[in-house]
Amino acid sequence: MSLSVMLALVTLVAPLVAAFLSVVIPPLRHRGAPAAMLAIAGSLLATVAAGVLVTQDVAGQAIRATVPWMVLQGRGLGEIGVRLDAVSIPMLAVVCLVALAVQVYSVAYMDRETPRSYGRYFAYHALFLFSMNTLVLAPDLLQAFAGWELVGLVSYLLIGFHFDRPSAARAAVKAFWMTKLADMGFLFALLLLFTRTGAFSWDVALRPEVAEAAAALIFVAVMGKSAQFPLHVWLPDAMEGPTPVSALLHAATMVAAGVYLVVRADPLFAQAHWVQSGMLWVGTITAVFTALLGLVQNDIKRVLAYSTCSQLGFMVAALGAGSAFAGYFHLGTHAFFKALLFLGAGSVIHSVHSNFMTDMGGLGRKMPLTALTFSAGALSLAGVPPFAGFASKDAILLAVQGRAGWVPWALLLATAFLTAFYMGRVLVLTFLGKPSPAAAHAHESPAVMTGPLVALAVPTVAGGLLGPWLARGLGTELHLHLGLTPVLASLAALGGLGLSLALYLRGGEAPLAATLAALDRASLIDRTWAFGYRGVLLPLGSAVRWVDRYLVDGLMNGLGWGTLETGAAIRPIQTGRTRDYALAVVLGALALLVLGAWR
Amino acid sequence: MTLRALLLVATALFSIGIYGLLTRRQAVALLLSIEVMANAANLVFVAFARFGGAPGQPLVLFALAITVAEVAVGLALVLLLYRRHGDTLLELASEAKG
Amino acid sequence: MSAELGFGLLAFVLVGLPAIRVVTCRDLVRGVLWLAVTLLGTAVLYALLRAPFLAGVQVLTYVGGVVTLMVFGVMVTRKHEASTVPVDGTNKVRGALAALGFFGVVAWAIFRTDLSSLLPVETPSTQDLALSLLDPYLLAFEVASVLLLAAIVSAVVLARRRDPVPGTAESVQRSAIQEGSAP
Repeated sequence: MSLSVMLALVTLVAPLVAAFLSVVIPPLRHRGAPAAMLAIAGSLLATVAAGVLVTQDVAGQAIRATVPWMVLQGRGLGEIGVRLDAVSIPMLAVVCLVALAVQVYSVAYMDRETPRSYGRYFAYHALFLFSMNTLVLAPDLLQAFAGWELVGLVSYLLIGFHFDRPSAARAAVKAFWMTKLADMGFLFALLLLFTRTGAFSWDVALRPEVAEAAAALIFVAVMGKSAQFPLHVWLPDAMEGPTPVSALLHAATMVAAGVYLVVRADPLFAQAHWVQSGMLWVGTITAVFTALLGLVQNDIKRVLAYSTCSQLGFMVAALGAGSAFAGYFHLGTHAFFKALLFLGAGSVIHSVHSNFMTDMGGLGRKMPLTALTFSAGALSLAGVPPFAGFASKDAILLAVQGRAGWVPWALLLATAFLTAFYMGRVLVLTFLGKPSPAAAHAHESPAVMTGPLVALAVPTVAGGLLGPWLARGLGTELHLHLGLTPVLASLAALGGLGLSLALYLRGGEAPLAATLAALDRASLIDRTWAFGYRGVLLPLGSAVRWVDRYLVDGLMNGLGWGTLETGAAIRPIQTGRTRDYALAVVLGALALLVLGAWR
Repeated sequence: MTLRALLLVATALFSIGIYGLLTRRQAVALLLSIEVMANAANLVFVAFARFGGAPGQPLVLFALAITVAEVAVGLALVLLLYRRHGDTLLELASEAKG
Repeated sequence: MSAELGFGLLAFVLVGLPAIRVVTCRDLVRGVLWLAVTLLGTAVLYALLRAPFLAGVQVLTYVGGVVTLMVFGVMVTRKHEASTVPVDGTNKVRGALAALGFFGVVAWAIFRTDLSSLLPVETPSTQDLALSLLDPYLLAFEVASVLLLAAIVSAVVLARRRDPVPGTAESVQRSAIQEGSAP
């Protein structure tokens, strides 16, 4: 086994062992700190291993180490193992690094929990890292599906972490069943691929209609997991989970898994041109729509949640335009700056004890490090050069323009403006202006929390430099040049920020804000889904339960009852009277005799 | 002296034994009926030993031994029954009820 | 034909009639005595069938041993009040039916079978019998001895006197005897 494969296995095994030990040795979990140490040790090992893997430079030579799974008739049904190439290694590094940062941050953020709760939290985190790595390193779609489902489960567990809060429990269920519904697409795609090709690989040449069908089915699942319109409604509600969870799962990694999957299966998607067009438009619509909604939120986490949806829309649009690289690049930069933004928001929330920006204000002076790093993240998200976010967003805009025409490009550009605009609003309401009463006693967060912030700020600022390296790995080139798109994008970003600063510092409101707020409150899409859940899914479930209880169970119970009744009916034959038994013997002998005599 | 007649007589004897087996209430009476039946079977063996040369006679010796053993144990059981209930009616031994 | 019938009737009178008395008479002691008659009749038939040794063994073991055992059994298990027990009504019919059914089936089989090929043959002498016990039937002989030993042991174990279980008839009798009120 080569070094690279061993390192990859470390990234899988280390968090798995941490999770496993936390589960099977309850004292570790109940005392809190041991589980935390295990989880962090696991992610530290994984991060180091991933870091070394990055230096191994496997460009051009994919390494694939698998064992067959479920061997039937000499052939395995699928394969389990790792695939190391220019697609999986960068993602692996990003996931492990962000996970480590978030876990370290959580040590202080979750300090108000009971030890049992604390331990449970970290056990989930370890499980998450293992699951996500399983997905990232998957050699075929089957293992990817396994990792996909696992992260969905951990998401449910962590969104509903404070399960005694009804809103959290509901949000967890909502996230779970919506993504599970979308995952049916993935399942059917697996079935389709298996019946057509006998395997689950994305690296096969398919007939056009089969490729389109498979890609479309997978994209349904991607829409669910990556919160694309109209399946985006679970993501804002997922903010019920602890903020570090929002940072890791619902910004940086899990929701990005959909984008990663499309990048991973690029050979498949490249054959499905109709699906790609669909992706382009779905992504664009999502980007615009959710950016508008983000403009009128008062909960800082919800702003960031809608922002995540919007950025994911950008990525999906890039993929739809045929540039897996642009989507992947933005995935990477977004992971860093979005995680940073969430952790920064968490720092503020932890200090002010409230999610609402109306309870904040003027925190720039009280929490300078948080404010500084958060601003860096905001600038990167807005796409201000030379931050990382600018480079990746630029790549997307270029790809869209090059392949798909002006309309999506224009819409995405407008969205970039909106992005800068609503982030400016957040900056003003949170860090500038007069502090609200609740923010009067705010102070900077401990080093355990600000450390990760600083750590994440580095790639947030300088991540753009890794663009060319990533592009080479994916077989394309990244050119940074002076052209219409980058100039317009920069203007949009700076203009958006400037305008919003000017507007909000004066205490004003955006035009159309009232309309948008009304739109948000009406939440038509959300209500449609809720109706579907209550009106269709639950009755269906009740019907199935009825069948199970009265027909299936009834059959079993009936068999049991029948057996008992038959037994009771036959029992009187055993009279206990010797003469009756003697009679039985004689009659039996008689019967045998008759039988014998007949022959 | 024909084989057939002998066989018929033996069968009749056996049937009489069956009647006794099914009819009597006393345990000892049951044993007597069984004796009759065993006797009939032995008669058949001896008859075939005479007509046809089948090895009936040694068989009869063994059958005799077995029957004697059975009577001994059977009487011991009857004794137990009597000790428990003061009587040897068969209905009293009805503990093998369903 | 008529010779066969005559012989059959004779044989029946010899063994059948006493057997009927065995299964029908109310007094057990009489029943045992009728059994003795049946067994003696069988011995006569054995003698007629050129099995003299068996006839002798029959008389010795059956009439001498088994019948004596039965008499003991009857005596020891006597009920103290009445000594005759009526035979149950319904069971007579069912017993008779079963017995007749049995006889009918076997008789029918006998009549259907061609027995003419079976002719009287030389029966083994006593010496032949004795030798057969030691050679072809040695194993059966040994097993029979073990069986008899087992029967003896089990009969002794089952019938041995021990303290009666309180509440059973035996304990009642014992205490009655001790108190001096039983006959």
